[in-house]
Amino acid sequence: MVDSLNLVFSFLYQFGDAFAFLVLSACGLAVIFGMMGVINLAHGEFIMCGAYVSTRAAHAGLPMPLAVLAGAAAAGIAGMVVEWVVIRRLYERPLDTIVATWGISMIVTQGVLILLGPSMQGVGTPFGSFSVGGYSYSVYRIILMLSAVAVLAALWLMFTRTRFGLLSRATIQVPHVAEALGVNTNLVYSLTFGLGAALAGLAGGLYAPTMTLVPTMGASFMVEAFVTVVVGGADIFLGTAPAAVVLGVIKAALTSWKGQLAGQIGLLIAVIIVIRILPRGISGKILRERA
Amino acid sequence: MHILETRKLNKRFGGLHVTGDVDFALTPGEMHCLIGPNGAGKSTFFRLILGEHLPDSGEILFQDHDITRARPFQRIRQGLSVKFQVPGIFKELSVRQNLVIALQHHVDPRMLPEEIDRLLEFLGLAHAQAQLAGNLSHGQKQWLEIGMAIGLKPRLLLLDEPTAGMTPDETHATGEMLKRLNAEGMTLLAVEHDMAFVRQIAHRVTVLHFGKVFAQGTIDEITADPRVAKIYLGEVDA
Amino acid sequence: MEQTSRIRRILALIEGPQTLGRGPRFWSGFALVLLLACAYPAFADSYDVGNNVYFFNWLFMALGLSLIWGYGGALSFGQTAFFGIAAYCYGVLTINLGDAYGLTLFSLLAAVGCSALCAAVLGYFLFYGRINGVFLGIVSLSVTLVLERFMAQTAGPEWTIGSARLNGFNGMGNMPSLTIPWPGGPIVLYPDLPLYYVTLALLIAVYLGLRMLVNSRFGNVLVAIRENPLRAEMLGYDIRRYQLMAFVIGSALAGLSGVLYTSWGNYITPASMGMTAAALPIVWVAVGGRSDLTTTLVGALAVLIVFQLLTIHASQYALVVMGALLVITVLVAPRGIVMALVEATLRLSRRKEAR
Repeated sequence: MVDSLNLVFSFLYQFGDAFAFLVLSACGLAVIFGMMGVINLAHGEFIMCGAYVSTRAAHAGLPMPLAVLAGAAAAGIAGMVVEWVVIRRLYERPLDTIVATWGISMIVTQGVLILLGPSMQGVGTPFGSFSVGGYSYSVYRIILMLSAVAVLAALWLMFTRTRFGLLSRATIQVPHVAEALGVNTNLVYSLTFGLGAALAGLAGGLYAPTMTLVPTMGASFMVEAFVTVVVGGADIFLGTAPAAVVLGVIKAALTSWKGQLAGQIGLLIAVIIVIRILPRGISGKILRERA
Repeated sequence: MHILETRKLNKRFGGLHVTGDVDFALTPGEMHCLIGPNGAGKSTFFRLILGEHLPDSGEILFQDHDITRARPFQRIRQGLSVKFQVPGIFKELSVRQNLVIALQHHVDPRMLPEEIDRLLEFLGLAHAQAQLAGNLSHGQKQWLEIGMAIGLKPRLLLLDEPTAGMTPDETHATGEMLKRLNAEGMTLLAVEHDMAFVRQIAHRVTVLHFGKVFAQGTIDEITADPRVAKIYLGEVDA
Repeated sequence: MEQTSRIRRILALIEGPQTLGRGPRFWSGFALVLLLACAYPAFADSYDVGNNVYFFNWLFMALGLSLIWGYGGALSFGQTAFFGIAAYCYGVLTINLGDAYGLTLFSLLAAVGCSALCAAVLGYFLFYGRINGVFLGIVSLSVTLVLERFMAQTAGPEWTIGSARLNGFNGMGNMPSLTIPWPGGPIVLYPDLPLYYVTLALLIAVYLGLRMLVNSRFGNVLVAIRENPLRAEMLGYDIRRYQLMAFVIGSALAGLSGVLYTSWGNYITPASMGMTAAALPIVWVAVGGRSDLTTTLVGALAVLIVFQLLTIHASQYALVVMGALLVITVLVAPRGIVMALVEATLRLSRRKEAR
């Protein structure tokens, strides 16, 4: 009885961990995709930027939460710069935008390697661990799970309660009408890209203490971010969040059975099958049934 | 026998009935126009026939074969063809190449060049055959697409507002072209707003309203029908 | 009689509406380049010649990507997956089978076939699921990233197939080179003159073959799908099937690159399927002009040579330059830099003729 409770807790922990990773690594990508129909292949580099900046800030003595926010802010600003320099010129050509972001990704990864060297001193995972039924669990992982939920809640509030959220949703649905009504759609796109990058930076800052900091670290978030967005489709609440739940279960089950890699392979296969059945992703399915 | 028949065809988008229980039949050799106010479900009805959308319920029969669930290309291969409202052409390819792609599937390769020359002549596009299709005038694009659609030698040709954006002269010429095709045995079904054009070509007219067949008859019967005038012609006048 | 006219018709496909480069002027240029390529070994050290086969190895993957992306309009970011699958297949097969009796050639075919098969399975799910361009790109990229990670963890001794150790992150080595059985003793294709000529011949054959393919009825439909998928379907074409076929052919060519590369260097690592490796084919093909086979070939070769020179003289900056090249191409010459140069020259010469 106690044993099976322990197993349940262990699985819930694994699921929560997978869910948090999927949500945090995907939400920045999903915000940009939902808004602009563009997949930002430099997403991993914004994650890396967040991780590097927050680690530097932590080394400089900033308390952990502030350091993470600093990472997010730095990535957000970097995102707006990228939008201003490159992306803005490509609004009419979404597929070209994707290719261009890949170029940016190459420049940044290699540039960081040249400027900052092959790796950076990390900060170590804070808060230690607790144990349940003989297994030990990391406190910080629990914090990551709570952060994922908090990010979803904050985005929900932002998109439903603020003026920016309202305008951005109007711009997604009917860009020309929004423009005719005097919405500065360029500014909305720019802010959205910045927001997506900042969310990526936040993920980087949050996961920095758990990872080795190398210039290519962003790539290790990409598969999870991609599959979540592909399964979820264009809507972050009706798509990304439910997709992360479903994929989280698959990943947690496979990971605890066969290890990290099996989880990833399972995710990928699940996604390829989902594509065959639901070409427009989960949010397409939900939207159609609801409408 | 009917060439095309729909039985209780239903399509909903959300709560909205876009087409409701449409029963419709087309006799071979007929030139039929589909009219109705905006939002009457004409385009959706076309898409259901073409297989771009699948109906929620009901049946579509083409030459007595059930094609309700067939994929679009399978319907085309059975003898259906379509000209879209916005010209659906291959803009980056030459005019001639557009027609090659339309015809290559069912014309013997040795006959293909001649066949295309004949079609270019028929469309009045022979002088423009080397141009990129995207550089044609709007009317020429419409004709090119009609050429691609009839190049398939269909039994039934669907036309979605074939004269949209054409000058009155071009519209008239298009009407005469369609009459010639009909005389050669092609059945035509057109969605059209231009009543002069409808009068020029239609043997029979169907009025769709709120996704249902509202009235059917010759153009004179339809224009004489006070109910139709109320819902449709009234709107046009206003 | 019937036979010869048929052959003539097929050969005529080498020139057609879907390929730039027509007429005596182009073909004499082509012959000249070919002549130079054939004569090159006479003026160079045979060690260098063998080394430079490296450049040819990649061009098959570039041509395949041009077919899928440039002609078919389908964004495939994961061609390196098929490169890697064939490369590892070739390694495992040849290490187990050896290089006698032409078995390396059998391994080559089997490895390329394996890539094609994997592409067919993946492509079936993707194209028949009708996902749009963006998703196709990221799913194919995910596939290659996951494959990389899978191969990187095969370091342990349990990852052995027959006598071939996959060897994880460090990569698999010591597979035999391609060997042609010959009456006077087998010809081993080390990086040397014979390999140079064999690879060159293969490249010419693939280039001309693809030219015929894209000018054939198949190619017409493929381009039609890129331009307007709905119209193509409404002309009676099963567009999913055409896209899938292009994907399989292009991926088989990526596989061919993988085998040639592995046979050339007797070495393959998981990094050949990683994020950076996956980006490079995109750069080659985008910079040249993906919608034409010739501009792709010229562009890819030029970019490869520049990249190699940078790697030698300023190794760290090579990738930065590649990334910048990609961004600049997309911004300034979205149809490709070589393509833009060709178009400018054509316009100039036309203006001259008009005068």
